[in-house]
Amino acid sequence: MNPRDKRKLLGYAGFIAPGLAIYLFIVAYPVIYSIGLSFTDYNPNRGGEWSFVGLLQYKTMFSNPMFWHSLKNNMIVVAVSAFGQIPIGFALAYILYRGLVKGRDFFQSMVFLPQFLSPIVIGILFRKLVGADGPVSRLLQLMSGDPGKQFTLMLKSGTVMLPIAFALLWMYTGFYMVIFLANLQKIDSHVIEAAKIDGASETQIFGRVIVPMLSGTILVTTILAIAGSLKGFDLIFAITTEGLQRNNAMVLPIFMYQTAFQDYTNTMRFAFGSAISNAIVVISVALIGVANAVAKRFNAGEIG
Amino acid sequence: MKTQENHNFRVGTILSYILFLGWTLLTILPLFWMAYSSFKSNEELTRDIYAFPKDLFENVDDEYVVIAPSLNLMMPKEVRSATSEYLIIESTSIAPNRLLMVHYLPKKDLDPHVAQRKTGDKIYVNELPRRLQRQVNRTTIWFNYTSAFRRGALGGKFLNSILYASVSTFLMVFFSLMIGYAVSKFPFKKLSAVVMGLIGVGYLISTNSVIIPLFLMLSNLSLTDTHVGIILVYTAFGIPMSVLLASQFIRGLPDSLIESAEIDGAGMFRAFRSIIIPMTVPVIITISIINALGIWNEFLLVLVLASKEITKSLPVGVYSFSSLTSTQLGWQLAALVIATLPTMLVYFSFNRRITRGVVAGAVKG
Repeated sequence: MNPRDKRKLLGYAGFIAPGLAIYLFIVAYPVIYSIGLSFTDYNPNRGGEWSFVGLLQYKTMFSNPMFWHSLKNNMIVVAVSAFGQIPIGFALAYILYRGLVKGRDFFQSMVFLPQFLSPIVIGILFRKLVGADGPVSRLLQLMSGDPGKQFTLMLKSGTVMLPIAFALLWMYTGFYMVIFLANLQKIDSHVIEAAKIDGASETQIFGRVIVPMLSGTILVTTILAIAGSLKGFDLIFAITTEGLQRNNAMVLPIFMYQTAFQDYTNTMRFAFGSAISNAIVVISVALIGVANAVAKRFNAGEIG
Repeated sequence: MKTQENHNFRVGTILSYILFLGWTLLTILPLFWMAYSSFKSNEELTRDIYAFPKDLFENVDDEYVVIAPSLNLMMPKEVRSATSEYLIIESTSIAPNRLLMVHYLPKKDLDPHVAQRKTGDKIYVNELPRRLQRQVNRTTIWFNYTSAFRRGALGGKFLNSILYASVSTFLMVFFSLMIGYAVSKFPFKKLSAVVMGLIGVGYLISTNSVIIPLFLMLSNLSLTDTHVGIILVYTAFGIPMSVLLASQFIRGLPDSLIESAEIDGAGMFRAFRSIIIPMTVPVIITISIINALGIWNEFLLVLVLASKEITKSLPVGVYSFSSLTSTQLGWQLAALVIATLPTMLVYFSFNRRITRGVVAGAVKG
């Protein structure tokens, strides 16, 4: 290696090193740490004494009904994203793309706005909106004429996910709309003109031209929706009050947080919490795998 | 056939307008309610949850009662040291008997017959001299906001949030530009592929999924409850997306620019400083805004890493404030506005740029 190349390599290392070091230390290393931790009985109450316990934490996790309850709620959140936010976002984007409404920029920025508000703030705001004698209850009272009427969906374990689903749609649909709109705008308008000349109807253009061309975008948004829905913490944490209501609406990240940082009597809280964290990652990867497989089958069908 | 199609189109247009206007209203109305209700007293909120604020604004004829100094009062320092020189009055209409809506009037500025009043005597705002009336007026209007700032100690948390968002964003952008420059303009393709692969994995990892090991690691280093620790984590987790956007953008810059600079004798560091940085300004701004907004809104990391008031950020402060003062809806709404207003201002000022940046970051990932 000549001195010039050597100097270049040194410079290269100098540019890479600071960012890569901080990244490896703070982002990459904890991933390995977390995997290791979940196979121990690490005891923070005894100064971090630990021994290897194999799959104990995972066995405890699978036998805990709260895990399955949280998983079920997480699947509801995933479903709201995949079958609510994405199709609605797509529909909204398509309306804007075809110019069915004027003031595209205005509507786009309004629907997209909640994405940038703090989920904690929105959670608290919605908790106030649906609380006892809050604005929503008051609206129900005005509409029904019954002054004692209350909004009770948040109070029952069977219905608590409905208002939460609404809040999720309210916050994140705009994100998918913006992604779809950007990709729709990349479509060559000649393709649509050609389909029209061939006598294709609006529904045919949408179903046979637009959707297939955006299949890649649909896959990417689905992956984002799955990953985002499984790690979502703030909104559900803030929209529920601590105790029964939060337990009813429990999702895996909150279960992990409560286990690791609030259950002080559990000597294996960090190890158990890590097992839950790792489960979240594994489930995300598995669901993303399923989404990929489904997408492949669909694409194969298109070609065949 | 043609008319049928026109008809369909018109129905579609009408439905589309209904959908978008409805959605826009649904987005705006909760925020609008939050904003105007943050200027309502608790009594007003209980009386009518929808009415526009009135009590705090029309306060010229408000009735007050003189109260004795007590330890429960949050007295300003100058009042505490000389309580006998002040007339302490409490509103009888806004949070009465709770020592919340209290004014401290210097006796020397009052009419003698007003200054002489004893504990339990009534006093009206319009009996005060003009200057004090204006002062009472101002404090009454901003009652919810000053209460949120003082009792929730939101001022310090506001500054912490600004510190976290700005310093972490600056460091993250700087490091990412360096990496982006190195991987796209240096002739070490294989090494760069490895670096980008490593960093790409980070795209799948959020602070939420490694919060436990992060907490343990930073505890061991005594970095929990420090600004440095929190900034370090925010910086690191912003690197994957920033590197991706930065390297894409820098790859698009013509090689000839950098080569000509190097022939001129400018070193690679000077090329970075005087060519790469100035030419990447658009992407720098985009990365910065999106990341700063994300950090401003982030919650779990600070909730776990910060147990002392001095390191807490605004969302954590607002959350604990709302659980501690559950009966003071007006204060809580003021706290929510304090946390939301800055992001809304940034969002509406940089709307297009933000939208483009989000699309680039999401689709390429």
